Order: sequence, then structure tokens, then C-alpha cells
Amino acid sequence: MEIEKFYYDNKTVKWFGYAVMFWGIVGMLAGLWAAIAMYYPALNLGLPATTFGRMRPVHTNAVVFAFVGNGIFMGVYYSLQRLCKTRMFSDTLSKIHFWGWQLIIVAGAITLWAGKTTGKEYAELEWPIDIAIAVVWIIFGINLFGTIIRRRESHIYVAIWFYIATWVTVAMLHIVNSIELPVSMWKSYSWYAGVQDALVQWWYGHNAVAFFLTTPYLGLMYYFLPKAANRPIYSYRLSIIHFWALIFIYIWAGPHHLLYTALPDWAQSLGVVFSIMLIAPSWGGMLNGLFTLRGAWDKVKEDPVLKFLVVAITCYGMATLEGPLLSLKSVNTISHFTDWTIAHVHIGALGWNGFLTFGVLYWLIPRMWNTTLYSKKLAGTHFWIGTIGIVLYAIPLYWAGFTQSMMWKNFTEEGQLRFQFLETVTHIIPMYVTRSIGGALYLSGALLMVYNLRKTIAKGNFIANEAAEAAPLPKKIPTHGKTYWHRWIERRPMQMLVFSLIAVAIGGMIELIPTFLVKSNIPTISSVKPYTPLELHGRDIYIREGCYLCHSQMVRPFRDEVARYGEYSKAGEFVYDHPFQWGSKRTGPDLARVGGKYPDSWHYNHMLDPTSMSPGSIMPSYVWLMDHELDTSRTGAMIRAMRKLGVPYPDGYAADQAGKDLARQEAVIDSSLRADKIQAGRNKEIVALIAYLQRLGKDIKEAPKEQTASK
Amino acid sequence: MKFIHYLEKISGVSIYGLSSLLIFALFFLVMSIWALRADKHMMEELRRLPLDKASFFLIATPSDIDNPFVVMAIIIMIILALAIALLANVLRGAAQIPAKPDADDEELTNDKDLSYAGGLARTGSARNMAMLPFAAVVTGLSDTTFYMISGVILLEVVVLLALLYNVKLVLSIHKKNKTAAETAGQEAIQPAVPRVSWWDRVNRFRSKEEEVELDLGHDYDGIRELDNRLPPWWLYGFYCSILFACVYLWRYHVSHSAPLSAEEYTIAVQKAELQKTAYLKKAANLVDENTVKVLTGEGDLAAGRKVFEATCFACHGKAGEGGVGPNLTDEYWLHGGSIQDVFKSIKYGWADKGMKSWKDDFSPSQIAQIASYVLSLQGTHPANAKPAQGTLSK
Repeated sequence: MEIEKFYYDNKTVKWFGYAVMFWGIVGMLAGLWAAIAMYYPALNLGLPATTFGRMRPVHTNAVVFAFVGNGIFMGVYYSLQRLCKTRMFSDTLSKIHFWGWQLIIVAGAITLWAGKTTGKEYAELEWPIDIAIAVVWIIFGINLFGTIIRRRESHIYVAIWFYIATWVTVAMLHIVNSIELPVSMWKSYSWYAGVQDALVQWWYGHNAVAFFLTTPYLGLMYYFLPKAANRPIYSYRLSIIHFWALIFIYIWAGPHHLLYTALPDWAQSLGVVFSIMLIAPSWGGMLNGLFTLRGAWDKVKEDPVLKFLVVAITCYGMATLEGPLLSLKSVNTISHFTDWTIAHVHIGALGWNGFLTFGVLYWLIPRMWNTTLYSKKLAGTHFWIGTIGIVLYAIPLYWAGFTQSMMWKNFTEEGQLRFQFLETVTHIIPMYVTRSIGGALYLSGALLMVYNLRKTIAKGNFIANEAAEAAPLPKKIPTHGKTYWHRWIERRPMQMLVFSLIAVAIGGMIELIPTFLVKSNIPTISSVKPYTPLELHGRDIYIREGCYLCHSQMVRPFRDEVARYGEYSKAGEFVYDHPFQWGSKRTGPDLARVGGKYPDSWHYNHMLDPTSMSPGSIMPSYVWLMDHELDTSRTGAMIRAMRKLGVPYPDGYAADQAGKDLARQEAVIDSSLRADKIQAGRNKEIVALIAYLQRLGKDIKEAPKEQTASK
Repeated sequence: MKFIHYLEKISGVSIYGLSSLLIFALFFLVMSIWALRADKHMMEELRRLPLDKASFFLIATPSDIDNPFVVMAIIIMIILALAIALLANVLRGAAQIPAKPDADDEELTNDKDLSYAGGLARTGSARNMAMLPFAAVVTGLSDTTFYMISGVILLEVVVLLALLYNVKLVLSIHKKNKTAAETAGQEAIQPAVPRVSWWDRVNRFRSKEEEVELDLGHDYDGIRELDNRLPPWWLYGFYCSILFACVYLWRYHVSHSAPLSAEEYTIAVQKAELQKTAYLKKAANLVDENTVKVLTGEGDLAAGRKVFEATCFACHGKAGEGGVGPNLTDEYWLHGGSIQDVFKSIKYGWADKGMKSWKDDFSPSQIAQIASYVLSLQGTHPANAKPAQGTLSK
């Protein structure tokens, strides 16, 4: 058979590589900023954009979608061409994909800083950007499948299975979770409400971790690890089993983020058991990686690339064991809402994603520039600084999370809570300081890498089009003797796509559909009424400032939480919450029942200077809320949107009555502030926020026993 | 090629002896300081300990086992113990790389390990004593349990570190030896029979020579694939997790033998109520709005002042002059100015006026202290006092 000559496209890989380094540094800087803001809130310089509530989504979006996202594309564009023995399907699509993705990132950063957010964690970007993401993702998909179809290799390798599953699942998750109703160019409300929104959101959030941070990186591991170690993959059949088990089981585990919440118990239990069953499939990936190194451990000592890969895989194993353990209810009781979760995700992010990306960069760049690494020693230094950084980051946070949780749950013998919430925060501030030092170390390691790679690039010559040759794919692929049943699907990428989609769709459907259709899952509470127009505005401000990133709105059925916050939250209380605001971290106290707890003037003073009302508080000042005027021109549109989503405002309410009600409620709050000598001005944003805060958790108190399940 | 000879070759080996000595000395120092400072009462208690409780060794009573902290700690203990077993095995394996040591040597290395770990274990327990103030953090857990658990975990960590250190030590010896052998151009030492280690067996590892048979002949950009069997422990672990899932779902949703969230809450509250009533029966803390009296003791007023200046000041001002909330230093009261009234206002609050109920934050005796302190502010005329509200009551 004739051998064909062709060229691999290295240019796109190069651009994605540059993007990885650039956004990696930006994302880590944002993270460091947010980490320092946790004990030095004045770091926001008095600006809304640089306050924790906005920096934190910038950080998470930058590291997940910009750093790791570009890392995925860099690795896929490099390995896919070589595993398929062909150039990428279309250079134009590659170019559109690259620039489209960078544009999305820039637009995302700007809008998040400007406070344009949907208020759903890891899916904060507003609807125009959501659409852009979907478009670029489909372009990536066309390029991906085009390349696979034009391959010169009869079967597709395990790395590509992971790429296919990643592509199809992320598309599904993104589309389902982003269904929202636009109110204006940069504001939308989630289609789902309360419990349902929470379930969809964490089904998405959990599987963003699974299919954006895990499966594509496992694909990269399956290519770059055997390449770097020059060893065969340990077990082909382990690859098959852990691949299918992983994608099938992962999707079910989302509800473990909602244990002890108002989510129906059956859904919580599914989250727990599928998390436990996930241990083995996850470890399958780790074992296949580590065992591949059998016979090459002497190389690990010498080669910085392998060092990074080994630590990455080990961190993956630790995080995927810890995750299921955190899903056990008895452990979750302690860990949830504390810094323990933050420590856990950073083992995954810094260790698994970060170190694997670094390893791949150190391996790729010298090869694409046809040279050797500028300094192995510097890479070794990076490795050690990074590792120490991870340790210094994680251990204090584990300690902080555990300590704080134990303090929350501590009662005196007289049956009183022993600690005020604030005491539990100020107690762990030293841990926050240490964590930021760990983060700074990790960042400086990354800077060393950028320097090292820059020097490497300077001494090499870039090969934009790398020559390769291979025989074309024969019409009929000869099979000789006994082959695995699984070889069948390895020749059929489209079937692979369909089967992966089926595998990941099952879990989601079984959990989501009953929660939407079966009424008894969310017992209605007749005293729960829609928000008033002013409260709705306040809620938008609450979301805009990212309050949900530090304050939960979910009192769990624990003795200490009921004593501290009041009656535990019921599913029926959230039916008008588009989107839900349960939160996932309690840096500040829970707000589900804050309504009526303090006078209006307390809230005013507290938002102006939190330490005046709570000495030692680490909450930043929200002084701009006292100056900004409320944009009441949107009231009608907001009410109309909510009506479309099923919130029962009366007919024609939006036209006229809503505005009147808003003004009346403003006047009431204004006069209550005046009585305490505060001249707020009735049309300021703070008034709307106070209205919303004073409403929280009040409805259920009107008729505490009226809870009935209607069929 | 005796193992001991490698040990001798390491430069600065004496440091380990010295550090062991130091650790021992430190331990005895801490021990004697502690013994000297312990008072008679404590010694007496210690002496009686085993006699007090028949089940001295069953410190973790059933109620402690329920504690999520204990459950988690036990899981951690088991994981650490597994890690120790694993590392110990690696160490044994590593120690055998250079040559199969004869019995004497093995004993010798073990001795060293033991004394090392032993020394460290003792510092571990000494460190525990310094950890005393943290005990109060874990609710509903006896101090003994807490210390035992943290002690065991700490000990395990220390042993792990010691093992890690020794593995590294032995490996570096091995490397030295290997390079020495290579430079000398000698035949490498060949182990007579390739030993199948515990680790190899548990993973069903095949030797490198068998790799050819396992090769599936796949070639993806130079990446080959082997057809190794699944590690048995992994596979059975997977089966176990599936079994766990079935049992779990059965217990929570079919047989209802495990409490769901809301039931768990009811149980916890009932248990706490029982504990509380049992405690209150003994304690003289049973003050309520009917029995409360003005406290005049300096200690009580100081305690009240402390709470006031940390909590109440936000609304009522540092000196009680009022702010968001009413002035507390004049004779005008919105809800009555007797000690009973003030006690009631603090205990139950006036939610509609923005005064929250503090009964879940402070104990009855604390509320009595705060109320007494508030009344002690009468007639102090602080600066910036808020105008009078409510009715005159004396």
C-alpha cells in the first residue's frame, strides 16, 4: 500500500499553549487576590469589581474555562492529530475555535467584573456568552469528529474515547443548565426554580468537574504519560471498564453537593451511593497511569515531566477517594459549607489539573520547537515549589474547615451554642493567611515555568507543520484471530458518541425528571408568596454582588443550625427562587432566615461598614450601594419575565401596580431608617437590598403548620 | 555485602543516634515536668482510673461511636494503617534489593526501625499533652476518646514519616551500590530466585519478561497496550462498593432502618434535650423571668458588661446611649424596666422592633448578668444619648 505524506498542525497547539500560560497566571492571580481578600477585605480598594463576590467567579471561571479549557484544547489538538495520523480537519475551524474561545474568556471576565452574572456557580456567564460557548463548542466538535473520521488509524485509542465523551457530555450539561429567560442584554433568570434549579445546577456543577476537569485530562494522561515514560499502557481492559463505568456513574453523583438540604431524600441517597461506586472507576484511571510507569520509575527521578505527571495522578487518586468520602452523610455533616471543600477541590485543581498541564507543557514545547528544555533544574525547582505550595494551601484549609465545623456544632452543657458565628471565623484567619502563602508559592512556581519555557522557545526553531507519513485507511479492516468485543466500537466514532450520550443521559434523566414532575417532591406551603418588586430588585443586587459565594440560604436539619438560624429550610419555600441561592460555602452566616432578625438600620450600617455592627468581621464594605440609584425602569420587564416562568403575579401587575408597590415599600423602609437618623434616600440600591434581606425566611413563619403535600 | 556495611558507609550516620537520644531526653524532660506539676487530686484520679470503669479499654462508648468525628477518625486511622502496611512492605522489599540479607541483618534493621518509631511515638504522646486546649472543640466527645483518637492518628503519621525516611535511606544506598557496581564493571548481583512480593501478588503483576505475551499489538503513535488483568483488589473493591450501594438504599428507603435527614434531626434534638435536663437538674442555672433577681456581684456585672460591649453595643451603643436601638440609661422603657422585664426582652426579643431573641445565644444565667448590667447603667447620662422612648417606669 502507498504511504501518504502529510503535516501535523502545530501552530494551533502553540497558540493554545500560550493561552494556557497566560490565563493560568491571570487565573491564579485572581485566586490569590480572593484568598487575601478573605482576611484583608479592604483589598477591594473600595471598588465593586475587585470585591470578593466578583473576584471569586472571575478566579473560578479563569482557572476552569481559561486555564484548564485551553489546556484541554492544547492537548487534544496535539494528541488527536498523532493518534489519528492526520492533520486537524480544518485549519479555519481551528482558528475560529481558538479566537472564539479567547473572546469568550475576555467577555466573561469583563462581564463578571461588571457584576453581570446568572448567580449559578461555575455557570455565572450570562446568556449571550452561553450562546457563544455553545457555538464554539460545536465548532470544536466538528473539528474533532472531522479529524477522527478522516483518520489513517483503524481503531481509535482510549484517549479519544475520553475526548468524545467529554465533548458530548459538556454539550448536554451546558445546554440543559443554561436554559434561562433573558430580561435584558445582560440579565436573565434561570428557567428552573428552587429545589429543581439546585438539582440541575449541581448536576451541572459536579459534572463540570467530571467532564471538563477529569475526563479530558484522563485522555491527555493516556497520551502524554506513555509517551513521556516510553512504556506501554498497563491494561487495555482496565481502560475499557474504567472508561464506561466512570462516565456512566459520574453523572449520578451531583446530589452529593446537596446533602441535608431541602432536596428530596431519595435524590440525596442516589448521590451518596453513586459517589461511593465512583471510587473504583476513578482509581482505575490512576492505577492504569501509575502501573504504566512500572519499569520506568528510575526515569521519574530524572525527568521533570514524569515528576509532574506522577504527582498529578497521585493527587487525582487522593481527590477521587476524598470526594466519595465527603459524600458520606456523616462526613458531609462536618465538611459541607466549610473550607474543607475548598481544600478538596484545590487538591484536584492544583495537583491534578495544574501539574498535569505543567507536565504536558514541559514535554510539548521542546518538541514543537525541536530543542531541549532550557533548564531541567529550574523545572525541578518549579516542581518542588509547586508541591510545597499545594501542601501549604491544602493543610491549613483542612484544619480550618474541621475546626470551624466543630465550633459551629459546639453546645454548652446548658444547651446553648458555645460560639457566636463571628468567633468561628476570626478563629481560622491564621489558616487563611497560610493558605494564601501556599497559593503565592504555587503561582511563583508557574512563573518560573513561563520563564523556563520562554527561554526554551528562544533557543529553538518552531516547526509549524510537522511532517509525518502513514498508509491510508483500507476499505476493509482485516481482523485476525480473536479480538476484543470492544474493538468493534473503536472503529465507529459515531456509535461511540451515541453510546456515550446514552450512558451519561440515564443518570441525569432518572434524577431530574421525577423532581420536575412528581409534586410530592416539593410540598407546597401556602404562605409562601412571590417577592415584591422591590425585593426582586434587591435579589438581583444580592446576585450581582455575589453574596451567595459567602452566605448560604439553606438551614440544614441539624440541632446547631436550627438553634443558630431557626427552623430548617423546606423545599416549598424556594418555589419562586429563579435562580436558587442556597450557596455552597459559609464564610458568613446563613441568611435563609435573616428576615426580621435585625432592624433595617442595622443592615444599613452593616453594609456601610460591617465591622461597626460585627467587630472583627471580614466582610467588605458595600459603600456603593448607598450611592447607586435603583434602576426602576426594568421593573416591568422583570415581573413579566417572572410571570413567564410561572410566578403568579396578577394579570397586568407589571404595567402599573408593580411600580406603585415598589415606591410604597421604599417609603416604608426609608421612614424606618429615618427613625434611626439615617438619611438613605429612598431610591438607593441599599433600600432594595434591605427589603430583600428582611423578607428572607419570613413567609414560613406566617403559617408554620400549614405545610401540606398536594397531589 | 551485608546490609550493616551500607549503613556504616553513610556519612553522618551518627546524627540518627544523637537525634534519638535527644528525643528520649526531651521526652523524659517533658514527662518529669508534667509529673512535678500535676497536683495531688489529678494523681489520685489517675490512680483510680481503671477501677472506676470496668470497661476501661472500651473508652469509645456507643454514644461516641455515633459521633461523626469518631467515624471519620476511624476511617482515617484505617487508611493510615493500610498506608503503613504498604510502606513497611516497600521498605522490606527495598531493603532486600542489594542482596538477600541473612537473618541477623534483618533483625538488626527491624531493631533500628522499632527504636526509631518508638522514640518518635513517645514524642507523639508528649505533643498530645500540649494539645489539651483543643479538646473542648469536639462536642459530646469525652476527652479521653478525643486524645486517644488524635494520639493514634498522630502516631500513625509519625510512623509513616519514619518509614518514608527509611525507604528513602535504603533506596539511596541501593543507588550508590548500583553505580559503584557499574563503574567497577562487575557483574551485577543477581538474586538467586526472583521474589514475588506481597505488592506484586496483590496486583497480579507479571514480570517484565512476560510483557511480550501481554502485548496486544496495538500501536497508536508509538503507544503500545498490554493486556494485564484487572488488579483483583480493585475489582473486588468495585463489587463491594456496588454492594454497599444496594445495602444503603435498602436501609434508607425500603426497610427504613436508617434515619432520613428529618428523623436524624428529631433524634439529635431529643438526645440533646435529655442531656440538657439532666445537666440542669444538677446545675444552679435555672433562672427564668419569674425568678430572676438583680445581680450586684462584681463578677456578674463584669460578665454582663463583656457581652454587652461585644454584642448589644451594635444597636444600643457602647455606653447604652442608644443608636439603632433605644437608650438604656434613662428611666423610660418601651417594654418595662424591671429586672424581670429586661430579662424577658433579652430572652424573647421584640422581633417586630428589630430586637432578636437571645435565648439560643446566651444561657439564662448569662441573660441575668446582661440584664443586671443594663440596669446598672441607669442614670449614667452618657454622651450622645438618644431621646427618651416609651413610658417612665421606676
